[in-house]
Amino acid sequence: MVQIINPPSAKKTVRHLFPTYEVGSLPKLPARVKTIKGEKVSAEELQQIKNLAKKYAVESAEVEEIIGRTEREKRKVSSEEKKQLQDFNALLNIRIQEKSGIDFVYDGEARRSEMYRHVAQQVVGFEDLPEMIRSRGPDSYKKSICITEPQLKSGALDTLIREEFAFVNQQAQHQVKVPLDDPYMIAVMSDNRYYAQQAKEKYIDQQQIRYEAKREFTLALAKNIIRPQVEAAVALGAYWIQLDIPAATLDIGHIPIVVEGINAVVEGIPAENAWFSLHFCYPRRNSLTEKSGYELLFPHVLKLNHRVKHFSLELANADTYEQDLAVFAEYKKERQFGIGLGVIDITLERQKEETYETPQQVRERILRAADVLKDRTLIYVAPDCGMRQLTLERCIRLYELMAEGAELARKG
Amino acid sequence: MHAFTLYMTHLGIYLTGPFGQSQQLYEVRNEAKRGRGTEEVVRQQIEKDTETVIKAQQEAGLDFIIDPLFGQYDLFQPLVEGVPGINAGRQENWFNNNLFYQKPRIQIENLQYTSGWSEKFLHPESLPKDGSWSAILPSPYTLLILSEISGYQNKKSAIQDLAKLIKAEAIHLASLGAGRIQYDEPVIVVKQSLGSLKREDLELLETAIDICGRVPDTTTVLHTYFGDAAPLLPFLKNLPVDCLGIDGTETNLEPLLQEDFSEKELVFGRINARSTDPEDPEELVTELKKVAEQCHPKKLWLTPNTATEVDGYTHAFKKMKILQETKRLFNGTNN
Repeated sequence: MVQIINPPSAKKTVRHLFPTYEVGSLPKLPARVKTIKGEKVSAEELQQIKNLAKKYAVESAEVEEIIGRTEREKRKVSSEEKKQLQDFNALLNIRIQEKSGIDFVYDGEARRSEMYRHVAQQVVGFEDLPEMIRSRGPDSYKKSICITEPQLKSGALDTLIREEFAFVNQQAQHQVKVPLDDPYMIAVMSDNRYYAQQAKEKYIDQQQIRYEAKREFTLALAKNIIRPQVEAAVALGAYWIQLDIPAATLDIGHIPIVVEGINAVVEGIPAENAWFSLHFCYPRRNSLTEKSGYELLFPHVLKLNHRVKHFSLELANADTYEQDLAVFAEYKKERQFGIGLGVIDITLERQKEETYETPQQVRERILRAADVLKDRTLIYVAPDCGMRQLTLERCIRLYELMAEGAELARKG
Repeated sequence: MHAFTLYMTHLGIYLTGPFGQSQQLYEVRNEAKRGRGTEEVVRQQIEKDTETVIKAQQEAGLDFIIDPLFGQYDLFQPLVEGVPGINAGRQENWFNNNLFYQKPRIQIENLQYTSGWSEKFLHPESLPKDGSWSAILPSPYTLLILSEISGYQNKKSAIQDLAKLIKAEAIHLASLGAGRIQYDEPVIVVKQSLGSLKREDLELLETAIDICGRVPDTTTVLHTYFGDAAPLLPFLKNLPVDCLGIDGTETNLEPLLQEDFSEKELVFGRINARSTDPEDPEELVTELKKVAEQCHPKKLWLTPNTATEVDGYTHAFKKMKILQETKRLFNGTNN
């Protein structure tokens, strides 16, 4: 029997071993992005919508009409038209996942600009830096400065989660898993001016200033920004909530803050109403200490609130499952976590090489992990991370490979 | 005492790493990435911004001028792209920043000591030729520890080759006009802060700096950042470089003040490049006077602790203004 409890709903119940799920983002349809920006949509981009709509049985006539109309009238979309485009993209993503054999689905974050910005722009107390900040190769992001205690803007919960979740919950035939940002990730991606200034007044030691400033910031974000989203989603019927923490091992001495932040989000949410998982990626495999990768999370994560039951892990990128998972087996007696096994490498390098995992490779990875963890019921199957940087065609193929590999693994 | 007072009448300032990108550069990069623009347009914007930032450094009275390195994504990219036998591995976080680098993969033994590999990221024609160009290279020890090495039997033989490779490039840059070579060395102080530093680490760094620490016609700096340098200062001061850089946002002032720097130049990275919070020049002057009076550095420099790129173009300029104002106040009060 798999570890997860199917939430009480009319959606498709999951009973098999190695259930599959998506992690978060998918690329947005170019035609939708261009139409919203008021740019010309190419014939190929329009055809892509028609083809996908047909393949996944999603009605596209209205969307095609919006694209044609706004182009003819040389104007930007209205807010209602924008919503229709987003709804179409979200529904298409849900159907793509369901048809590809994914058990727990979401909308590919079709309404979110990107994970940090989506939240940061709804925060009072954040001010934007004037320029986009380069982060990864040529990729950049809009960074915010925290200038006072962060609070949600009026109506932010509707934009951040209520409308999005209500749509997914209404449309999805499979079970739903809701991805949300964790507070620590927002803290490390922002410029923490407000809490740093406060810490400088209280402490002299530089390391302590940095630690306390980040801790206070993370806890404020947990309480004021993330927890209200969780409560709003749970109130609408969300059951499985995934908190995304790509930066968990970024600052090795600060991992206790990650745990405190998560606990502040989760504590007090009734256990029968919600179930939490954490998504980790970029584990520091070269940590400059004797521990590395997911080992760095221990023993700190043993202090996580017991509503946190599952970790989704980036693993395929390194393909060192035995090494990466050993620590979970080692601490099994103290605390057992379900594992969302990253079996699909989602890096751009693989896309450039035009190579894919095979279903047999996926199967082998699942069984290797099962050997280490000694409990098949703990294992879920997932991509390494969200896939917004890849082409949609590649994402679809990767979902299919993942589901085929999981099916092979179920057979042994 | 009189001689010391004369020595300390001057505070020097400069930048120590890549400058924040402009919004225009972001926009053309983004267009190129999406196939709507060209790399040639990106190159032109880089040229334009480089000219602007070099000129701004000169106008602000910076004593050394850096290339803002707008075309370089991480410290190791020139090596990875230009040195046979080294290529790009996995993407990893650059220490505790939301910034990434590609792990160098060194797969052959006996690297050729080629040079000129960093040149395509630089603009020597725009940089000063009077010895005030400060060029930045990875310290061999940091390069060794952050690389994936499969071609060498042990770290000692690998670091010797890496140090020779880096030195060859330093000599090449000196021939192009660089008057200062800054070796970026975050790993040693980060390991110290994490409590994972071993004797072997110190020996490897020492081996490397023995090889590349002296470069004819330049001054050399071992520039540490992202960690507390204080416990390592007795060791670091003995390395054969002209100048030692410490991260003043990670290293407490009190232990620093216990150290004598009369044989070394001291680069005090007290401007926090990773925060938009503006430092108060008057408070900086108070701290710098303590450093000058108690550490007796051969020369004293105020710099950002690291690259100003993480908070963008506008804030990089603001931090440069703070350098300028602090220099004015310090040198004014001392004169």
